[in-house]
Amino acid sequence: MLAMVHSATLAGVAGQPITVEVHVSTGLPSFTIVGLPDASCRESRDRVRAAILSSGLKWPQKRVTVNLAPSGVRKGGSGLDLPIAVAVLIADGQLPASATDGLAFIGELGLDGSLRPVPGVLPLVHALGDRAPVLPPASAAEARLLEGPEARCASTLATMVGALLGRRRWAAPPPPSGTAAVPGGPDLRDVRGQPLGRLAVEVAAAGSHHLLMVGPPGAGKTMLAERLPGLLPALTPAEALEVARIHSAAGLPLALREGMRRPPFRAPHHSASPVSLVGGGGSQMRPGELSCAHRGVLFLDELGEFPADVLDALRQPLEEGQVLVCRARASVMFPARVLLVAAMNPCPCGSEGGPGSCRCRETVRSRYGARVSGPLLDRFDLRIHVGRPDVSELMGGPAGGEPAGESSAEVAVRVEAARERARQRGVAANGDIPGRLLDRLAPLDPPARRLLEIRVRQGALSGRGLHRVRRVARTIADLGGWDGPVRESDVFSALALREPVVPGGIGPAGGGPDPAEVAIRQGAR
Amino acid sequence: MNREAAYAAALSGLPGMGPASLARILESHDPAGAWRAVLDGRIERPARARRAGPGQLSLTGAQAPAVRPWSVAARGVDPLSWWEPLEQAGVRVTWRGRPDYPAALVHDPEPPGVLFWMGDLSVLDRPCVAVVGTRNATPDGLAVAFELGRDLAAAGLCVVSGLALGIDGAAHRGCLHARSHGASGPPAGVAASGVDVPYPRRHRALWQQVVAAGVVISENLPGRPAQAWRFPSRNRVIAGLARLVVVVESHACGGSLITAEAALERGVEVRVVPGPVRSPASAGSNQLLYDGPGPVRNARDVLDALGLVLPDAPARTRPPAAGGVCPPGAALSGAGPSDGADTGGPDRSGVAVGVKVAPGPAGRPDPAVTGTVPAGGPDPAGRAILDALGRRPATVGAIMARTGLEAGAVARSLDRLSADGLVAENGGWWARI
Repeated sequence: MLAMVHSATLAGVAGQPITVEVHVSTGLPSFTIVGLPDASCRESRDRVRAAILSSGLKWPQKRVTVNLAPSGVRKGGSGLDLPIAVAVLIADGQLPASATDGLAFIGELGLDGSLRPVPGVLPLVHALGDRAPVLPPASAAEARLLEGPEARCASTLATMVGALLGRRRWAAPPPPSGTAAVPGGPDLRDVRGQPLGRLAVEVAAAGSHHLLMVGPPGAGKTMLAERLPGLLPALTPAEALEVARIHSAAGLPLALREGMRRPPFRAPHHSASPVSLVGGGGSQMRPGELSCAHRGVLFLDELGEFPADVLDALRQPLEEGQVLVCRARASVMFPARVLLVAAMNPCPCGSEGGPGSCRCRETVRSRYGARVSGPLLDRFDLRIHVGRPDVSELMGGPAGGEPAGESSAEVAVRVEAARERARQRGVAANGDIPGRLLDRLAPLDPPARRLLEIRVRQGALSGRGLHRVRRVARTIADLGGWDGPVRESDVFSALALREPVVPGGIGPAGGGPDPAEVAIRQGAR
Repeated sequence: MNREAAYAAALSGLPGMGPASLARILESHDPAGAWRAVLDGRIERPARARRAGPGQLSLTGAQAPAVRPWSVAARGVDPLSWWEPLEQAGVRVTWRGRPDYPAALVHDPEPPGVLFWMGDLSVLDRPCVAVVGTRNATPDGLAVAFELGRDLAAAGLCVVSGLALGIDGAAHRGCLHARSHGASGPPAGVAASGVDVPYPRRHRALWQQVVAAGVVISENLPGRPAQAWRFPSRNRVIAGLARLVVVVESHACGGSLITAEAALERGVEVRVVPGPVRSPASAGSNQLLYDGPGPVRNARDVLDALGLVLPDAPARTRPPAAGGVCPPGAALSGAGPSDGADTGGPDRSGVAVGVKVAPGPAGRPDPAVTGTVPAGGPDPAGRAILDALGRRPATVGAIMARTGLEAGAVARSLDRLSADGLVAENGGWWARI
């Protein structure tokens, strides 16, 4: 006898509908699964059999064949345990086929017959269309974020069969348990001093400009970066769902309700592998940290400690806002529109970093700086030194009792207003203005043009650097509520936010300064 | 072509030929005659050298394995045809007894038998100061070496160093920098490789600049690569040429300690730039300092040590600049605003003038690096920034925090102050100059 049950599996951050077909026929007892299951999927054979027997149901002593259709697509994960079990029961005549009309099943089975949650419920349920999903309790809570048919929920296979047969009611999904609605989050008000750092995160948030902070340990780089998501505009419901789907696919705990609207903040450790950052691995193609930070902030602390191949793998996705991860069996497009914030020490010894202040030899310093490749460094519109604040700043301002800086909420209002100006110009953020449109969207007034011309002629700015300065200057003007052509003062501020920060790395002009050149510039005082 | 030079050069390339043997041979023979005597077997390799030295005459720098007598090694070699292209490339040679042989080396305990050179050998007639130090220098050390090179050149002295990475190169660059601003002090590089083999290769351009502005000398045959064992003997030449050796930074077992040792053996004064006591780059130099030689902080101290007299009139007449800003020339003495340099006293004047004892053009005041003090002085924002800035470099963020000015205003003021020569930037760090 034949049975068909609907389910879904993950491919990257998208669900794909799967039909589980089970055929039970006479013959030697056997249990085979066909249709490109991966290892974890093939293991479901043993789980399904044990769960059915533990639940007081019968295992057909017949020839059982499971086909996962479409059979050309690789299936992974344990979420097909439940649909396989249901299909076996139908094919064996223990359940009527009509009981599963309009339903789809997702869930892992324990050997005792319990239903266990699986990652990626949001994209999976989304792929089911208008079929009502039957889910383990924890997954059902997550699925409530989606609109559509209400999820059914059962905690064991036996209770689920009872509900399908109409003998008992479906269980009520448990209350959402995720990291719900932490009000506020870190506030910019806590940052003492750091006027340039505060400006930099504001500009980064307003224009979606990638930010590199260089400074000694304890200067407050991480503190500033953590406050950036609080300055970004809240996600729209559609964006929030998109982000939640990615996080669900990655198996991350989901923020619920209001917390869902907050842009994500991901800070992977520098031991990260390229795949963990970009995505891929296994047949399910898990999204990487880059995608988990989609529409939020990806913070790379100790940028210089990341392996070079990992950093270089980020370059293209940063430019495109998405990453196509290709394997022999599948290619998956992951969204990757992030605001990249990176921090590093000025040199390996972790000193203040000023000329002459560190004990590192010039060769060591330049080697450290060279770990960040020029093309990656080039992606950072904003590069600033973050120094340890003076004692007086920590104690409350130079005069003592100076009021704390602005709060995140105050800054966020300006950021939102600046983004609105950018939207009216037709771009999501000024960081995205294409170079050819700069003259139209970010024109310069004559003094500003003159200033930039001088800088380019001095070799202090490359062609690409010029574009980046112009975008940043546009954002600064927007933050100041100025719609006219970019002014000289905006350009000066933009230049202040583009400091030569990396020792021995590429300077603004793109050439690595010879240590002796550095000495010349210093000695020439 | 100078035939004598060709034969002298070829003699110096004979296997196992040391400076002493060469000097002895050239005292009794003219070069061409000596070469003939070698071919005839009348002059032969000393027995000791025959055992220990490398084999055949090798004009290419490669060493033949066999130990061969000079008469065999010299057979089949035509010094003239070998020398001609070298001479055309600008390589010259001098040897003891020649009038152009550097006077400082004539009475040296181990004088080089021959000296190959490119550039202008007469620059060594000036008083020479050697600035030596580690290749792995700290930025501070590089800056000090650069300033020493610059200010000593501005004072009209010849700056001798080893053309190496780090301190040596910085000293040469400082000297070249001052020359490009009109100073007369020339650079002199003493190479461990052949004079036509720039080493390290990163210094190829520097090498050429030193040749153009001064001289590069070497006692090694042209074409010879730099080899570790050649450096100590190179260092003794540096010590022999100099009237004073300044060690800027040296690691615990640094080669510059060998230079200092050689200098002390020759009665050449050694001075040391003190470094941070915990800096490994200064471990050797500080040890040296502890052992006796006195410290120097800047070119002025070096000149004092040499007993050179500075004309002080120009510095005295220079008025203190507005806003408490010291005249740019004062920076040359290493005296900053925090030192009260704006008093403009004679002991604070720059070394931006010639030294009276220096021969030739340095007799008259030597215009050095000069800046211009802006008319009217800096605006209020600029003054606030200058007040907030010390000699210790600060970042824009720190300047903003100290002055309360906005990023754009700070950047604008720094731009102006920098154009006026009042502040300078290095890697995003700003400081008064």
